[in-house]
Amino acid sequence: MSADASDLSLVRRVQRGDKGAFDALVLKYQHKLVKLVMRYVRNPAEAEDIAQEAFIKAYRALPQFRGDSAFYTWLYRIAINTAKNAVVSRDRNPVEYDLDRSNTDESYDMQGRMKDSETPEGLVLTDEIRSTVNAAIEALPEDLRTAIVLRELEGLSYEEIAAAMACPVGTVRSRIFRAREAIDGRLREIFEGGLGRAEELG
Amino acid sequence: MNEELDSQLSAMFDNELPDAECELLARRLSRDPDLKARWGRYAVIGAVIRAERGVTLDGTMAGRVSAALSSEPALTGAGGAQASDRGLRSRWWQPVAGAGLAAGVAVASILWVRSQALPGGQNVMAPAMIASTATLAAPAAQSALQNASLAAPDSFVVPPVQQRPMMVVPATELADYVVAHSAFSWPVSRGNLLSALMVSEPGTSSTPVRSDQPVPGVQGNAIQNPK
Repeated sequence: MSADASDLSLVRRVQRGDKGAFDALVLKYQHKLVKLVMRYVRNPAEAEDIAQEAFIKAYRALPQFRGDSAFYTWLYRIAINTAKNAVVSRDRNPVEYDLDRSNTDESYDMQGRMKDSETPEGLVLTDEIRSTVNAAIEALPEDLRTAIVLRELEGLSYEEIAAAMACPVGTVRSRIFRAREAIDGRLREIFEGGLGRAEELG
Repeated sequence: MNEELDSQLSAMFDNELPDAECELLARRLSRDPDLKARWGRYAVIGAVIRAERGVTLDGTMAGRVSAALSSEPALTGAGGAQASDRGLRSRWWQPVAGAGLAAGVAVASILWVRSQALPGGQNVMAPAMIASTATLAAPAAQSALQNASLAAPDSFVVPPVQQRPMMVVPATELADYVVAHSAFSWPVSRGNLLSALMVSEPGTSSTPVRSDQPVPGVQGNAIQNPK
């Protein structure tokens, strides 16, 4: 099992012409990429635009991706370069953004969130998702919560989690899966209520 | 949706699924909207746990990227083909290197064996090996080998070439043959034939045999086997 076998298998499918596999990569990394870009631009809406542009650039450059590095590492570099270029471009045309910078962080953040594609409904749903997931995590049994948090927050591998929790790797896999299932059961109700399915993928 | 599939999806999301299973699941994931939606929710769960503030979680970005790429042509697989070409190019030397390595090991082994066989060196052939070699030879060679190994245990033993049995011609028959044919030959060639017959016998020197010297193994008209 290689370090990012699943990403690589999706990448290979995209390289063979399967656009649906690229949707899976976007779904998996969209939040990480926006968070990364927000180190360069503080406006969340702008960060989303840059992340979206980075994904499109990555898709176009995928024929050149050799798999020498992990897919996310490669995507990370594209996103950083796109963000840097966006900052340079913005500095050449500072009028709009100077006005933004005069605002306080909170109002700036809210203004950014309300730009372009964001809607008040989307913001409400995002907050609802957060509270639902957090509540579901709190309700998890201790061993499931520890496993999922070690994986998602600390980024530990299954083997490392198994060592930390003194249990077999298979148990770790099962615990993480059951934790996700429990949280997803609560989350699905929100998404099936109209979120996420409005724009059908692929 | 079965639990095993969901468990695989969870492991694949964490890059912890075996490669062979990844291929099959990736295919299904790219085609199954329900599986893809679940995959997307797994990503949302991770984003909430990491408290990625400022990141919207409604999953619309994937839809926007997909819409933007809908006008793009699907990739033709050139990347994969190029990657495999490059792989082939980078692997051409591997069999050559393997053969070179094997040849190097063989040469090193021969040199090492020869260095061990030098005078004063250690015997590299185990007694058991000598014995097994000896059993393959003819009984005469076997006894010679055993004698050699006993007499000179520190030397490299080469099995002696088995000598072909010499064709023994009775001396009187040969003499009669020569005399009978001498009636049809020139006197000079007749003398040469007889002397050449005697010179070619093993144990004689290559120098011309003078008529006044005794010829080894020849008594009168008889030619005896020197052995």
